[in-house]
Amino acid sequence: MTNSDSRETQEAREKLASAASSEVIIELDKVNKWYAQFHVLKDIDLVVHTGERIVVCGPSGSGKSTLIRCINRLEEHQTGSIVVDGITLNKNLKNIDHIRTEVGMVFQSFNLFPHLTILENLTLGPIWTRHMPKAEARETAMKYLERVKIPEQADKFPGQLSGGQQQRVAIARSLCMNPKIMLFDEPTSALDPEMIKEVLDVMVELADTGMTMIVVTHEMGFAKTIADRVIFMDEGDVVEENEPNEFFTNPQHERTRLFLSQIL
Amino acid sequence: MAIVKHEKTPARPAPLTERSVIGWMHRHLFSSVLNSILTIVTLYIVFITVRDLWVWGISDAVWIAESRRECFDINISGACWAGVLAWMDNIIYGRYPREELWRLNLGLIVLAIWMAPLWLPRVKAKILIGLSVVFLYPFMAGYLFAGGEKGIFMQIMLTAAILCLACNTLHSIIGVSGGGGLREFLFRLPVLKDAPEKSQRNILLCLFGVSFVAVFVWQIRWNLDGVPWTQWGGLFLTLVIAGVGIASALPGGIILALGRRSRLPVIRVLSTAFIELFRSVPLITVLFMATAMFPLFMPEGIVLNKLVQVIIAVCLFNACYMAETVRGGLQTIPKGQFEGAHTIGLGYWRTMGLIVMPQALKHMIPNIVGNFIGLLKDTTLVSIIGLFDILGMLRAVSVDGAWRGLHNEPLIFGATLFFLICFVMSKYSRRLEQKLSTDHKH
Repeated sequence: MTNSDSRETQEAREKLASAASSEVIIELDKVNKWYAQFHVLKDIDLVVHTGERIVVCGPSGSGKSTLIRCINRLEEHQTGSIVVDGITLNKNLKNIDHIRTEVGMVFQSFNLFPHLTILENLTLGPIWTRHMPKAEARETAMKYLERVKIPEQADKFPGQLSGGQQQRVAIARSLCMNPKIMLFDEPTSALDPEMIKEVLDVMVELADTGMTMIVVTHEMGFAKTIADRVIFMDEGDVVEENEPNEFFTNPQHERTRLFLSQIL
Repeated sequence: MAIVKHEKTPARPAPLTERSVIGWMHRHLFSSVLNSILTIVTLYIVFITVRDLWVWGISDAVWIAESRRECFDINISGACWAGVLAWMDNIIYGRYPREELWRLNLGLIVLAIWMAPLWLPRVKAKILIGLSVVFLYPFMAGYLFAGGEKGIFMQIMLTAAILCLACNTLHSIIGVSGGGGLREFLFRLPVLKDAPEKSQRNILLCLFGVSFVAVFVWQIRWNLDGVPWTQWGGLFLTLVIAGVGIASALPGGIILALGRRSRLPVIRVLSTAFIELFRSVPLITVLFMATAMFPLFMPEGIVLNKLVQVIIAVCLFNACYMAETVRGGLQTIPKGQFEGAHTIGLGYWRTMGLIVMPQALKHMIPNIVGNFIGLLKDTTLVSIIGLFDILGMLRAVSVDGAWRGLHNEPLIFGATLFFLICFVMSKYSRRLEQKLSTDHKH
């Protein structure tokens, strides 16, 4: 299916969406974004339902990172509308802060706070934005550190941990905010091969809990296991959108086939 | 065919040339013929300089004499430290009335007591203590040093300062002895512990109110004679100007730097203009402007004294320099840190206060202390516009009757004093840097 055939696209989209539960949590409608003169996102339409797990892939510079950064407004889009958890993203600062506490994000470069211990990294958000008592915040933090399997590192500083451990801390930090949606921006791209698996394992476990996830990644094995839908982007367009089995075995668009042949 | 190594290679110590003193000397002092010659020549120059200094300043020096003439009679080739010693009080306190010197000493002791908890272990809320030093101590010190009539504002601030100092000291003593802090201590008292949560707050408020009133009533009767600023001088004056400058430079600098990075054009342009204006003018010009031109802009009837004008000028000047240092520090923080903070819902001020500033300030410590050292030395410029700071007093020695013409010794003494203060600051900044380092990079 291609963007040109809009009626067919619409039907296919409805079919894909009906597979998940019916509650819409993210809705992008004709979203466009430019960096100065450069058109990064072109008429993006995307509907995500609660509990859906979506993998976004595509060559570098295709706009996939920009897309998910727009969803928690680390980037501003210029035209079209983005509605997250019933709130329209616009210039209203209150809305943005609210959305950011509902949407967790994990970055390629971890972005932990190097001057704070692991535990402090985790409790900072709950204490300062959720106004949680310190003891409770610490308890929650330890619970999530156990879930990502590194409770023994709680009092160390990020600089003392391996890349894989840091990324798991970053995931735990987002989870401490009890988000409704988790965004992952190439979470394993900066890791040594030996550490990729430990991070992916944590993400698979997270997916099993029913979290709504949008993951930008090149880990196609991961995409096959957990994704409900795979989105392929190129030059700012969503070129192809399909459920993973079909996507990998029977890609429709020529560009998708080329991409898959290069990375598989 | 595979090549397999089954045994682990054990680590061995480095060769002797890497770790012995002779190895070090060979590598760093005598690595070639030219370097050997340079080493020997340098050592010789250092030797004769130190020897001459030693003979002039220590072995041939005169320590006890009544006048410069007497110094010459005892030993003409040595330094006449007797003159410096005779003027020591003047150099340190200026022309402050001699019977009131205890006020300056008390001010110093109070500062020491107030700030000591910052270095003590197990004391909580150090940031609050630091802030109270910056915002309340100046009022207490101001009254101690200047004395005179107290306005109602001064009385309130003085009361607050005394109360704060008392709480502070109590809090630190409890903290050091392992009891948590003042808050925990109060809540262990039976009156508070058994009270319901709502009345706890009222009891605390009452306690605060009663002690405030008590201190206020007490301080009304406490009166000090006024000492006009014209009698302030010496090292004391230098430290007052530099101290106020240092205490206000960092907060001012942070505000200006944030203003310069602001997204609001008006704030950005104003901050930039202010910073660039002050940075492009020499301090001495700013001082002359402050003392000569500033009064012209003031509404009639308001007469600021020269010292206040000078202090304001020094503060603004240094805030602008500090602003650029802070901006440099802010630029070392990667964008990812802001994004990380945003994703856990922190707004602008919390991102700055909790994430960005702590890291940036840590990177900036060497530059900040460099600024402070520069500021301390720059304050000697006020001697040009007629304030008798330490430099003014050191030069005044040579026009005193008994010590007429004694130029070198006081200035060398002053240089040594400045060196010691600056060296301690610089060493301390190194230690602070290492202590705060959480990079764990090898």
